[in-house]
Order: sequence, then C-alpha cells, then structure tokens
Amino acid sequence: MRAPMHLTLDIARKMIDAMIRYAQDNRVMPGSFAVVDEGGHVIAAERRDDGLPATFDIAIDKAWTAATMKTSARVLEVITRGQGWRLNVKYNGRLTIIPGSVPVVSGNRVIGGIGHSGGSAEEDEAIAQAGLSAFYREDHIDFTGEDMLRSLRKVADAVINHVTGNKLRPVAITIVDEWGWPVLIYRMDGAPYGYIEVSRDKAWTAAAFKIPTDSVADKVGVNYGVGWNERLVTTAGGIPFNLRARYSQ
Amino acid sequence: MPELLNFDVAIIGGGIAGVSVARELSQYNVNVVIERHGDIGLESTSTNHNLVCQGGDALSFRPGTLHAELNVKSIPLWPRLADELGFPLKRVGGLWLIRDKADFRRYLRLYSRAFKSSLEPNAPYYIPEGSFQPLEFVDRKRLLDMEPYVTPNALGALYDPNLCITDPVKVAKALAENAKANGVEFLLNQEVTRIERQGITYSIYTRQGLVIKSTFVVNASGIEVDRIAEMVNARNFSIVPLKGTLTDFDEEVGRLISHEVHVLPRMEDMPHVRAVLPNIYGLARSGIYLELTYRSDRVIREEAINHNIKVAKELFPEIPFEKHIVKSFVGFMAYTNADTGWHDFVVDIPDYVPNWVNIVLGPAGVSASPMLGKKVVELLMQSGLKLEPKKGFDPRARKGVSS
Ligand SMILES: Cc1cc2nc3c(=O)[nH]c(=O)nc-3n(C[C@H](O)[C@H](O)[C@H](O)COP(=O)(O)OP(=O)(O)OC[C@H]3O[C@@H](n4cnc5c(N)ncnc54)[C@H](O)[C@@H]3O)c2cc1C
Repeated sequence: MRAPMHLTLDIARKMIDAMIRYAQDNRVMPGSFAVVDEGGHVIAAERRDDGLPATFDIAIDKAWTAATMKTSARVLEVITRGQGWRLNVKYNGRLTIIPGSVPVVSGNRVIGGIGHSGGSAEEDEAIAQAGLSAFYREDHIDFTGEDMLRSLRKVADAVINHVTGNKLRPVAITIVDEWGWPVLIYRMDGAPYGYIEVSRDKAWTAAAFKIPTDSVADKVGVNYGVGWNERLVTTAGGIPFNLRARYSQ
Repeated sequence: MPELLNFDVAIIGGGIAGVSVARELSQYNVNVVIERHGDIGLESTSTNHNLVCQGGDALSFRPGTLHAELNVKSIPLWPRLADELGFPLKRVGGLWLIRDKADFRRYLRLYSRAFKSSLEPNAPYYIPEGSFQPLEFVDRKRLLDMEPYVTPNALGALYDPNLCITDPVKVAKALAENAKANGVEFLLNQEVTRIERQGITYSIYTRQGLVIKSTFVVNASGIEVDRIAEMVNARNFSIVPLKGTLTDFDEEVGRLISHEVHVLPRMEDMPHVRAVLPNIYGLARSGIYLELTYRSDRVIREEAINHNIKVAKELFPEIPFEKHIVKSFVGFMAYTNADTGWHDFVVDIPDYVPNWVNIVLGPAGVSASPMLGKKVVELLMQSGLKLEPKKGFDPRARKGVSS
C-alpha cells in the first residue's frame, strides 16, 4: 500500500503517539506536540503530563511555520543565516524559526506540519522527525504512562464517538487545564478550521468561571469578551469537569 | 523449552552492514549473525546501483558527515578486500555531465570541496597519496572519447576516476563466508521478534523459537532498524523509507556504456537521481526513481520505469533503451533527516541503552561498509567489549553460510 496523501485526525494521533514514545525513550522533558494541515491549522495537538503550559502554543506555531513555509526550521535557520528570529515580528510572532518544526511531505507535496516544544532545539527537532517517521509507518507505536493525558483522551474519544454515532457534524474539541491552558485539541476530519479557536475559547471560559459557557452571561453577568479578554465566549458548548481539566466542543 | 545460545556479540541482520561487522569481529570474539532470510544480503544489499568507492564527489558527500567520512575512508580499503576475498571489483569512474554554465559553477565548488575533504594532509579525512585519484575536468572531446554515445549536448564533465562497480551480494557472501571460517556463527531463517534487556545482557527471541543471549547487540537490520531498536527503547534516530526503482537493460546496450554517467539534479528533477551505469555482468542500469512510502510498498510503478528510460535516453540519446529492458526492481533505503534532505549515517550507541549499536546506512551504504566494520568494532571496544586477537585468523579462508 502507498503511504497516504493527506493527513487525518487518526494519522495525526498516531504521529503524536510515536513522538511521545520517542521523547520518553530519549528522556526529553515533557512538552507539547502539534500536527497541522497544509494550511497550518491544527488537526491534533497534545501536551504530556507535567508539560509546561507555554509549550503548547509554541508547538502549534512551529508546526504552522513548517506547513506554511513548506520547510523545516533547520533549513530556515541556515538560509536566514541565524537571523530568522527577526522575522518573528511578522504574523504576530507566530513565525518560529527554531528547530522542532518539520513539514510533512507526501507525493512530493507538503501536506502539513509537525511541531514539538519542550526540549532543547536538537531534541525538539528529533521528536518532530519521529512524527514524520510515524507518518510512513503502517504499524502503531505506543507509549507507557501519561495517565492524565490518557484519561483526557478518553473524554475526547467519548465526544468523537457521540458525534459519529449520532451522525452529527464533525467538531473540534479542546480540553484545557484548570488554568485555562490547553492540554489537547482534536479536529475531526471535515470540521472547518474556524472551530478550533471557538472550541478553545469555550474551554477557556468554562475553566475560568467553572460553569458551563451558556450560564456565564446569567451567573457572571458578562457577555462580551473582546476588550478585556479575547477568549471569553458565552454560547453553549463549554463545560467544566473535574479531573484537573475542562473541556468544550 | 527453547534452545538457549550464548554469545559476546549478536548482530541482527545479514546485509552488508551486519556481515562487515561480523568479519571485522571474527578476528577477535565469539559472535553471531541473525538473519531472517535463508541467505545473506537479500534485501537492500541486493537492490542497488552496485557502486562502491564513492565519496570522491563532495556534493552528495558533504564534508563533516559520517556518510562522507566512512565513504572516503573506505576507498583505499576496497582493492585489498577484493583481493583477499576474490570478489569482482571494476574501476569504471564517474562522469558528472556539464550541460551549461550553471552546472559548471556548481561543479567548480564541488571540485574544490572534494580536495578539501580528502587530499590535503590536514583535511578531515586525509587518505594517503596513491589510493585516491584526484577529480578532474574533461572537455567535450575527451568526454566523447571516453563515452562515445553520450549526449552531444554535454559541454564536458567532472570526472571521478575512483568510482568502482561490484556485486554487493557477492561481497556480502564473501565477507560472511570468511567470517564463518573464522568462527562466526550464522543463524539463518531466524526472524527477531522480541528482545529483552536484563542489565547489560540481552535475550533475543526469534519467531522460529530460538533464544539468543548476548552481552552486546549490533542492530544492522536495514530498513527494520527502527523497529528493532524500539524493542529495547534504543531508538535515538528517525528514518523514513526511501523507495528506489532501478531498471536494467541487456548486454547489447550495456557494452555501449563504460562509465557511471549522471547529471546534477535540478529543481524540476527532484527528488530523483539521474544516472546510467554498466554493471559487473555487462548490463546497463538506470535510475533512481525515488518515493517516500511505506516499506511494504514494493510495487514497481509504470511512471518509475518510464522515468528510468527517459533518463537513460536523455544521457544517451542514440541508444534505443526501450527495446532492451531486462527488468525493473525496487529497493529501500533508510533515510534520515528527510525534512531537510541532509541525510547522514547513524552508527552509535544510544545514551540510555548500554552495549547496543544502531546502524543506519541508507544511500551509499555498501560503499562505506569496509570502514563501517572498523568503526563499529571501535565503538564496541569503547563500551567495554574485550577484544582478544584470535590466533590463526585467516583473511582469505571461506566456509559456506547459506542453509
Ligand atoms: C535504489 C538504490 C540504489 C542504491 N545504490 C547504491 C550504490 O550504488 N552504492 C552503495 O554503496 N549503496 C547503494 N544503495 C544503498 C545500499 O543498498 C544500502 O546502504 C545497503 O545495502 C544497506 O545495507 P544494510 O546491511 O544496512 O541493509 P540490508 O541489506 O537491508 O540488510 C538488513 C538485513 O537485516 C535483515 N533483517 C531485518 N529485520 C530482521 C529481523 N527482525 N530479524 C532478522 N533479520 C532481519 C534483513 O533480512 C536484511 O537482510 C542503494 C540503495 C537503493 C535502494
């Protein structure tokens, strides 16, 4: 069988599993992993247990950089002669010319990007490469431990099963920690990328007020976000739960 | 009860990498090669361009890489090896065609880098005078003398006189037979499925029911190198399988070509290799059509064959290759740094797994194998393997290996 020509949520999750395993085997500090589509939009992103919260968005930005520049950050570093960080002022600082950012190439085309943040530059790059390697593996590489992440995956899988079982429209799922920082984002195949940020906003709002998002207007008395906090959303879809984490869809 | 066997060093994989290490080690210790097939060198070692003594050109062999180091240092070792083991080795030389000024400028850079990497006494991989011929530019007239049917569009070529062809399977078998004559065991038809580590001893389980205990393990399993390493959490590298399709043409064509002839890939040619060369049995070989894909994807694609014919016709427009096809076949290379294209070999011991050596070769692995064997023995020694030279090591003796 030929390797796939597109990324799906299942493939992206398989790639992240392999990256977690690689990180564990090589004793890399816990961090975050992201796989994005060719437009740079998240398909799956996850943070390991005890991974630093800030690594999550760095991983996503690295994956975005690889997908949209269609090049590895290692190459960008060389062709910008180490001055690549100056470009960082573009795109509100998203452009991340730090190793750990690898494009996914299939059939001579860039079909996505992979990012890792949390280790040294070399480690980040090696882990992102492990993700690319997993794209070209038919077998699944599993890891041990990561109990928190595994429980949260179960929550996300329940949502996915509910959506597919009831033939609902595919959704994006975000689960954040108690401080509102994401631990997991999954975008089901076919869900438009706009839902990624909406689901993040809902997860943040539910975590921040510890009530479902649609009761925020009533109970908290605010119904606008922009101006003081861009993440606040007061429409249904975000609910808090206990496991030191919250999710929304 | 499965059978229990004990060794100092177990080598997983009977390709060129595994047998080169085995032969080198046969001067010292008790060791064993475990191979899943019934014979030696049936995978990547049998499906390649048959080129050795590569490394003279510094474009595909960037100085500073292990890929360049092992290849360049292997050049002087090949003739002695061929003499000791009696396998065919033929110096054909390589011609990089110059199509225009841009090519010429690129070759000029290459040329000076080739010198930097090997010929100057303070160069990183200095090899003694006499064992390496310097590269030279040849003009169109000389090019046509050397290769009469080559495209008249070529302005000249950069000539690497060092390049040789051989039969890598014969080399691998000869190395294996010599290793066996010097005491190395070969367990053929044994596929490794599980490995356990207890401190610094390994138990290697095969599908066929053997348990092999060993203090050191050399993972030389070719395209399976990542899977074998994962069995003991020893994967400290990543590979993607790079599939290459080659096409062979019959002797009628083969006798019209006497050098390895190729052109530098341009953007529009990427990622394929555009080369034609004779093989040791008088056939001509063209390729390589390259694809990243699953390692189980062994299908020979129509577009791959067409590419190989097109390349051959471009380099030798007068020769009707399409009428002389013998066969096409695929092989796999373990490619590292696929994201940047800066492939390199991996030959090292992972930080957290003792007494374990991973070998990832990929492009030009056969060429580099003589030095690879020495490098691995050095690594094993550094990690504590006691090497006691065996009395009566015979570099020429042979003993049959295949079952
Ligand atoms: C199209 C193409 C052209 C090439 N051209 C050249 C060239 O011109 N010159 C050159 O130097 N190099 C060339 N190469 C590269 C060269 O073929 C490889 O570098 C080399 O053969 C790799 O040798 P190896 O021993 O690592 O792998 P292999 O020859 O594949 O050996 C690995 C062995 O391990 C065994 N094995 C795997 N898994 C297990 C298991 N679980 N249990 C037991 N045994 C196992 C396999 O059966 C196999 O025999 C080319 C490669 C390709 C694909």
